[in-house]
Amino acid sequence: MNLYDLIVKKIKDIQGAGDDSAITNMSTSSMLTAEITLISSILVALIMLRMVSKILMIVAVLVVLLAVLVAMPLMPRFKKEQNDSMDSMLFYVMLALAIVITLFYWGNLNV
Amino acid sequence: MNLLIPLMVIVPILCALFLNLLHKKDRTIKTIAIILALILPALPILANYGLHYFGGYAPLIENPTLSSNLPSLITGTALNTFHPAITYSFQGAQKIFIFILGLVGLLVVFTSLYETRRPSGVYGYMMFMGIAALTAILLTDDIFNLYVFFEIAALATVGIVLVSNVKGNYETALKYMILGSIAAPLLLLGIALLLGVTGNVNITDIIYSLKNGLVNPQNPVLLMACGLIVFGWLYGSGLPPFHTIKSAIYSKALPSGAALIQAFSVFTFIALGIIILRIFSYLPFSQWVILGVSLLAMILGITMAIVQTDIKRMIGYLAVGELGYIGIGLGLGTAFGITAGLFQAVNEAIITAFLFIGFGTVLYQTRISDTRKLGGMMARNPLVALLVLLAGFAMAGVPPLNAFQSKLMLIQASINAGFPELGVIMILLSIVTFMTFMKAFHAVFLRPKPADLELKNENIPKATIVALVVFLVVCLVFGLFPQVITSYLQPLATSLTGGIV
Amino acid sequence: MVIDVQIASLFTAVALIIIGIFAAAFLDNLIKKVIGLAFIGDGVNLFLIAMGYKPGGIVYIYLPGMAAEWFSQNAAYPLPFAMVLTSIVIGASTMAVMLGIIIVLYKKRESLSAKEILGE
Repeated sequence: MNLYDLIVKKIKDIQGAGDDSAITNMSTSSMLTAEITLISSILVALIMLRMVSKILMIVAVLVVLLAVLVAMPLMPRFKKEQNDSMDSMLFYVMLALAIVITLFYWGNLNV
Repeated sequence: MNLLIPLMVIVPILCALFLNLLHKKDRTIKTIAIILALILPALPILANYGLHYFGGYAPLIENPTLSSNLPSLITGTALNTFHPAITYSFQGAQKIFIFILGLVGLLVVFTSLYETRRPSGVYGYMMFMGIAALTAILLTDDIFNLYVFFEIAALATVGIVLVSNVKGNYETALKYMILGSIAAPLLLLGIALLLGVTGNVNITDIIYSLKNGLVNPQNPVLLMACGLIVFGWLYGSGLPPFHTIKSAIYSKALPSGAALIQAFSVFTFIALGIIILRIFSYLPFSQWVILGVSLLAMILGITMAIVQTDIKRMIGYLAVGELGYIGIGLGLGTAFGITAGLFQAVNEAIITAFLFIGFGTVLYQTRISDTRKLGGMMARNPLVALLVLLAGFAMAGVPPLNAFQSKLMLIQASINAGFPELGVIMILLSIVTFMTFMKAFHAVFLRPKPADLELKNENIPKATIVALVVFLVVCLVFGLFPQVITSYLQPLATSLTGGIV
Repeated sequence: MVIDVQIASLFTAVALIIIGIFAAAFLDNLIKKVIGLAFIGDGVNLFLIAMGYKPGGIVYIYLPGMAAEWFSQNAAYPLPFAMVLTSIVIGASTMAVMLGIIIVLYKKRESLSAKEILGE
């Protein structure tokens, strides 16, 4: 089994049997691009933590890199998570509300 | 000529209301609608800068005859300078924004008149109403007035989606409304908290109170208000976590409607973003949040765009991703960065509309938006294919088109501000944007035509091609002479500085 | 113990908002969801009104014969009331559109379950 087949198999595993859409050459390559883009931009964004502390930056980059390598095909999971069902949308909206309010309220009071 | 300022809102509302009175006289409606739509971009060009006080209630300080009869309890305090009327402020930046909104509105109305079966009806009403609401959002200096028009714009968006007759539009519209009914009251709650602390809804007065010690800026209630307004901003402009519903909304509207709705999101983003910066820029945290959310929007929007198979959904996610660029400009907080962000907003509103209408021709011909079932459209319409290709170049930032200038400015601004990482991410995501576009372009235009693909409409209306050419010309002009636009945006950007750097 | 009217109203408003968000998130029936959303709007409106409350305040209409100074010190704050009126109108129209969509969806799908209609 070569690398390409391995990637296709991974994507298929995560999408599950219920998804009948065929995994074409094009969709695989775009999934791969998205994956690489996601990982690299998150890692580059993490370098911005150097504003806070350099050691924190190094630790964070290493931890995230390890975590990403372990959970490797991220994008199929991300795609599955960002679906159009009302429940998941509401869940993320509530989560975002909680995060925004918490960050603003405590973040500003204690800085 | 300050009477032209309220007319910018009144003309589209009147269009919306009165065009339907002529129902079924299609030819008359077409002529009148085009003439009235031509007025939309013309009004901001003709109007002079200034403030408009609704009801004529100028601040007491400008009205000596009235203030001489009042006790010193009122005239001796800050009340003297407060704005009692709903104030519309029209300056250079507003001029450009409303001009661009009017231009996109004009071209969208123009194409929709020839692409839809009936020119009058709910669709036209909703489009004009939305344009009126967005113009008011851009003009107003009164945060409650902004909320009212924010809700009208949301209803207009839902209306545009409901009349589109695309499969699943009702479900998506209902989801959007449910999420909106959670987020919009919370925005109102934020405004209410601001009112409770400062006693004002006029933004200039709120800032006056904060700066001159009438109100303690470190009041925790203000932090809560900022958080809630930021949440409303996320909803209004479709940033994460609202990016899924926003892109779904784009994909369930007609292409012309989607072109208009994305302009609504861009300008809501700008209007609320400017307000957050104006009122809360003393909280360094607010700018970090703008930066973080923008980064998230860019990364999630563009990575989600590339894995989509529906063209409209793909452009919808790209539109969300491009919003992140504007947000990064605003979040940097330097004058150059904010100018670049605002310029990017102007460009994005045009380019995304260009792309939606360009790919809309394919939908008009085939009624299919799934890339897996399309192909070979280049042979049928090489001119449209070329125009769409140029639109894609513009979005990715290829010189000499307009987004090249704004993205270059953004990257320079991020390096100047000490965040070269942001520049790297922006370049990376621009490349992926281009790849996403090329994937769609290849699937629709270049690939051999599938055997079972049927054409429902043979010819593309001339009006659509004219609209596309106008978009291209605007892109070229903005790309070749960026100083023309940025000189209008600079004063606003300078007044907003005081950023984190 | 006498509870302050304003504080009590503010707490009621917060309770309404939280109940509304709970209903919108966790109830499956679309009509119940919409009722929850109405709760959120009402809570915010109540919050606004409660904010404009002034103990012992008078109606903010300047009648002939009133001393301007006395009026300006005793009149309630008019802005929140004007805002609430507008906000109620907006809430009602949003509600009408939502219920209209639900009617259409019910005719199409013969169901009011959010899981079924608003799933993926």
